[in-house]
Amino acid sequence: MVTPYITGTAAVPNGRFDAAELELATRVVREAVSDAGLSLGDVDGVFMPKPRPWTAQGFFSTVLARRLGLDLRRSLEVYTGGTSGGKAFQAAVAAVRSGRLGTAVVLGAERNSTVETDAYLEYILDSFDQEFQAPMGPTIPGVYAQSLQRYLHEHDIDREAIAEVVVKNRENGAATDEALFSTATTVEAVLDSRPIADPLRLYECPAPCDGAAAVVVTGSGSAEQADASPVEVAGIGAHHPPSHFTGVQGSSLSTFPAASAAFDEALDDAAVDPVGIDVFEPYAPFPHVEAILTEELGIFERGDGADACARGETAVGGTFPVSPSGGCIGRGHPAMVTPVLNYVAAVRQLRRTATNQVPGAKTALTTTEHGHVDGVTATVFRRGA
Amino acid sequence: MGLDDHASDPFWVGLDDGEFRIQRCRECGRASFPPAPVCQHCQGEHLEWDVTEGRGTVYAFTRQHRTAPGYDSPIVLGTIELREDVRLLARIDAPYEELGIGTPVELEPVAYDGPFDRGRLADRPFFVAVPRGGVD
Repeated sequence: MVTPYITGTAAVPNGRFDAAELELATRVVREAVSDAGLSLGDVDGVFMPKPRPWTAQGFFSTVLARRLGLDLRRSLEVYTGGTSGGKAFQAAVAAVRSGRLGTAVVLGAERNSTVETDAYLEYILDSFDQEFQAPMGPTIPGVYAQSLQRYLHEHDIDREAIAEVVVKNRENGAATDEALFSTATTVEAVLDSRPIADPLRLYECPAPCDGAAAVVVTGSGSAEQADASPVEVAGIGAHHPPSHFTGVQGSSLSTFPAASAAFDEALDDAAVDPVGIDVFEPYAPFPHVEAILTEELGIFERGDGADACARGETAVGGTFPVSPSGGCIGRGHPAMVTPVLNYVAAVRQLRRTATNQVPGAKTALTTTEHGHVDGVTATVFRRGA
Repeated sequence: MGLDDHASDPFWVGLDDGEFRIQRCRECGRASFPPAPVCQHCQGEHLEWDVTEGRGTVYAFTRQHRTAPGYDSPIVLGTIELREDVRLLARIDAPYEELGIGTPVELEPVAYDGPFDRGRLADRPFFVAVPRGGVD
């Protein structure tokens, strides 16, 4: 089996762009390949989320490959909600591991500034069960609000502790020059922001924005030539139990069985324990999700994840740093790009070039999630010797 | 079943008659929702329709302040846990302030007046959770 490495990364700051998605994609692919010390002629695989309907360009990867003259042995566009970028990435890693591909590029490019809120809500409605859920008009915050309510209820958690997760992530994001928000916030401001779906408040919901990012996955030999200390993709895991926005039957809505199983698989694949993770960059679109993920990982006791954040344990300088990049909430959330941004953030930590650098970071963990945490991917990255 | 039948047809026919029907597996004995051609727990193919009272409790709930165009706003919706040990999303016909986790509810048929294109079910009633007295 070939060991896969991330040898190149690129990202544009989250925000608003007039340039078409194809221009953004072209830019990050070229920059990531250049960062890897490779040329476009080396690329033999392209993997990406299938762009959502408000991206005008169809057959996106085909057009992109023709434009860059890429001679591809494998290409893939996949859509499974928020896990799309994770599925694309793990498919690329599997292809490189098998030896079938030498250099795979994984990218995401999306402009959410081009879709009106009403059109977005109609689109999202279609992801709910067409017969039994969609007719009543649910939204994504409407279901996450319910897992927040259960989390607060089951563990008697202070409402302020949830807001602390937002405060931490906004502060982390604001310290970078790539986040949608350039300012931090306060617990009071979070809890005074307008309700979106009670008990969730506006500042607790991820702000949609435009973005683009790419990473280059290469096999053992080429990676070692390109970088004296390459970042290894040490483990991948994924799980999707039977669940569609109402949780797994028999499990609390404030637990994420998909995450637990994905962590087990990825950590086992990497032969690392949870306590061996130095930095965690989760896909956590709402603050309680981040807290619960740290519990599923076994770092904090059930019900203690938000309080642990309030105690400072998940800060950049804490015992278990979570979302030093700002994550979905602090950085802004182009959902098809967020997974790739998390891979970029993990690689920067291990290259020791991150803005909010965790000192001495050697191992990083990322996640993606689908719908109401129905499905999850988890990936472990490790700094080479 | 014929090629043009749907696994959920008996549910919607029952709801039209004021019944809340749920599938139960003859092999593992467990209930499943929403309706499907096989048991969601053991993939058993012998499913029976239980006519239930549609009774259960509010497991979680929210007041959604923005939804897709054409819907009332805000709306109260929640996850209902039925006595048969299944969970489903439902609108709740009650003010948000009067609800709690554990509030007993009963699912009732209601004329559908929303904007969603329900296709073959366009003329069928939908269901809504209505609080009822007592405890469950």
